[in-house]
Amino acid sequence: MIQKIDTDLCVGCGSCVRRCPLDALRLNEDGKAFIAYPDDCMTCYLCERFCPSGAIYVHPFREELPPVFPNVPRELGGGA
Amino acid sequence: MKINRIATDILIIGTGSAGLWAGYRASELAPEAQITLVDKGPRDWGGLMTMAGGDFEAVLDPDTVDQWIQDFVYYFDGLCDQKLMEEILTRSRDRLADYERFGCEFFRMEDGKRKFVRQRGLDHVKLYPAQLKGRGGELMVKNLVSQLKQRKVQRLGRIMLTEFLQQDGQVCGALGFDAITGESYRFDARVVIAATGMGGWKTSYGKNTPTGETMQMAWEAGAVLQDMEFARVWNMPRLFGWEGQTVLMPLGARFVNRNGESFMERYSPVLGANTDPHYTTIAMAMEIRAGRGPITFDLSRIKQENLILLRPQNGWQKLNYDKLSALGLGLDLFRDSTEWVPQMTVSYGGMQATAWGETAVPGLLAAGTARATEPGVYAGGFALMSTSVLGHMAGEKAAELLQSLPRVTAECDEERHFASTFAPLGREGLTPKEVLTRIQSVVFPYDVSILKNEQALSRALKELVRIREEDVPAMAAADPHYLLKLIETKAVAFVSEMYVRASLERRETRAGHYREDYPTRNENDLAWLCLKRNGSDTDPEFYRVPVPLDEYRFPVTRYYQDNFNFSE
Ligand SMILES: Cc1cc2nc3c(=O)[nH]c(=O)nc-3n(C[C@H](O)[C@H](O)[C@H](O)COP(=O)(O)OP(=O)(O)OC[C@H]3O[C@@H](n4cnc5c(N)ncnc54)[C@H](O)[C@@H]3O)c2cc1C
Ligand code: SF4
Ligand code: SF4
Repeated sequence: MIQKIDTDLCVGCGSCVRRCPLDALRLNEDGKAFIAYPDDCMTCYLCERFCPSGAIYVHPFREELPPVFPNVPRELGGGA
Repeated sequence: MKINRIATDILIIGTGSAGLWAGYRASELAPEAQITLVDKGPRDWGGLMTMAGGDFEAVLDPDTVDQWIQDFVYYFDGLCDQKLMEEILTRSRDRLADYERFGCEFFRMEDGKRKFVRQRGLDHVKLYPAQLKGRGGELMVKNLVSQLKQRKVQRLGRIMLTEFLQQDGQVCGALGFDAITGESYRFDARVVIAATGMGGWKTSYGKNTPTGETMQMAWEAGAVLQDMEFARVWNMPRLFGWEGQTVLMPLGARFVNRNGESFMERYSPVLGANTDPHYTTIAMAMEIRAGRGPITFDLSRIKQENLILLRPQNGWQKLNYDKLSALGLGLDLFRDSTEWVPQMTVSYGGMQATAWGETAVPGLLAAGTARATEPGVYAGGFALMSTSVLGHMAGEKAAELLQSLPRVTAECDEERHFASTFAPLGREGLTPKEVLTRIQSVVFPYDVSILKNEQALSRALKELVRIREEDVPAMAAADPHYLLKLIETKAVAFVSEMYVRASLERRETRAGHYREDYPTRNENDLAWLCLKRNGSDTDPEFYRVPVPLDEYRFPVTRYYQDNFNFSE
């Protein structure tokens, strides 16, 4: 999941905003990128990879989803 | 209300593999025509192909199309449209050659020969991997888009289409809105190609965009939906995304249970671990249910020489791999034992269409994964092959239809349509995410998604009907961004309900549909399950289209499912 954008590093090029397939990122009034809508991020890394200033960090873990085995404990491969 | 109006000859909705190929072919055959490509995501982004590894199936010498068709008849347990497969497979080598001409590279060994990886233990079906593991699909997008830039093609992004325009039954355009600014759009077109991808459940791993809005739009316009009972249940790491198991499995990777047992050998002594994820995930579910989970991934048997095909070398896959290793949590896929889980991801259901994309509705063509093609089993490299061929064919058909389809303009009450589309804006209510999570909680449990049975499906249906009646209308959107998510969530609810209804209706086990209460094949059910609108939105009318074996060249003599025994 998208984790942070370093405002000090961001040069406001807009690449991440243009590329995010889920429209998670926007530019603020100062022309800096910020995480406007984190809840639909699919960890595709497009924003981070094409950021010219290394301002973005996407955490490699994907979003946690409702369980497939609600009645099996997590240690046994189930659970939430 | 200001409405942006765009008149075009061919409107292509979706700029994934299928849409880009349709645009490429249509603009080649009708260079003077106005062609418009529209996507709800970024302009030119390429859909799922952007994240794809770039593995590509193609019938190359010395294989023959007939050999491959017979593999698919067996692999699909007879539920194979042999004429459609012949059209696809015959053209597969041309699309691979096109990609090479555009600058894409497929893996060559030191002696210059092409490297291939056989799929699912089939005799002939195989994929050709990209030269460098990591961004094969991304380069396909880049190269296709640069072809389109040389043509007279209009390309628009961030516009979501929400309804087809129709006059006298013929589709002649679509209405939509800009998901950033909220502006309204009306497209009038002579032919519309829906290249909008599958329905799905937003499970990350590059798959949060296919949500199936056009399934519902097409159904409402009179199109027939098919294969809704099939969903792709994929095995994926519990914590992160990983691309490339279609290559890992044939090269020696396997899943083991908590006792260290490579359990697939028990369920299928013939195929063992090297099989389709549909079957692997059934076995995983059985192991976890029996208390033998967690399931971990074992790569210790992979030969050193094949690691080059597996270890990501560039693109998002390398970044992902490096980051996971850097976390220091024992998540190096090649060194550590990582936990994997079965997870329902996308729907195989889609519009019923001819090979050329013609649906039951004049003026509307369907291409790529927006149409129904495979019955829930999936050989690696199939999607990039089939979407390129089917997109190309739909583009050709659209150019041809420009000569014959009458030019019509829809008389519709656009103001009323937009007023109802925008109604959730600014009001109070449930967020799209809350409703999405409720839907996911209903369909993800293994007795609805993997080991299906009547009781669990009926329970799920009841809850999905409640969600449709109570939660979906109660959603609200704070702005156009959330309006897009809201419409997607409505589509997820629709696809989920059709998935469950169709799963109840197919009372047998075949290909990608496993019913624990009907664990065997029913010979009378060698038929596609189709559904059509029945006046009201809520009550679909199912009917069966028998597989016309008497018109086909190959009889069904073997069944892939017979390689497995899941009785406990
Ligand atoms: C991580 C990953 C790896 C993969 N690797 C491979 C591989 O190596 N080999 C292989 O063969 N396949 C692979 N696949 C599968 C393959 O990439 C896809 O199945 C294929 O690209 C789908 O193409 P498509 O054009 O049918 O649909 P999509 O790519 O889903 O395109 C549909 C487009 O329509 C747009 N759209 C949808 N609804 C609307 C609407 N209402 N209004 C406007 N626009 C809309 C979407 O934004 C999207 O861009 C992979 C997939 C993923 C996610
Ligand atoms: S990782 Fe992908 S989905 Fe997430 S914010 Fe970045 S571009 Fe958007
Ligand atoms: S890509 Fe990087 S520099 Fe450009 S706007 Fe985004 S964060 Fe800022």
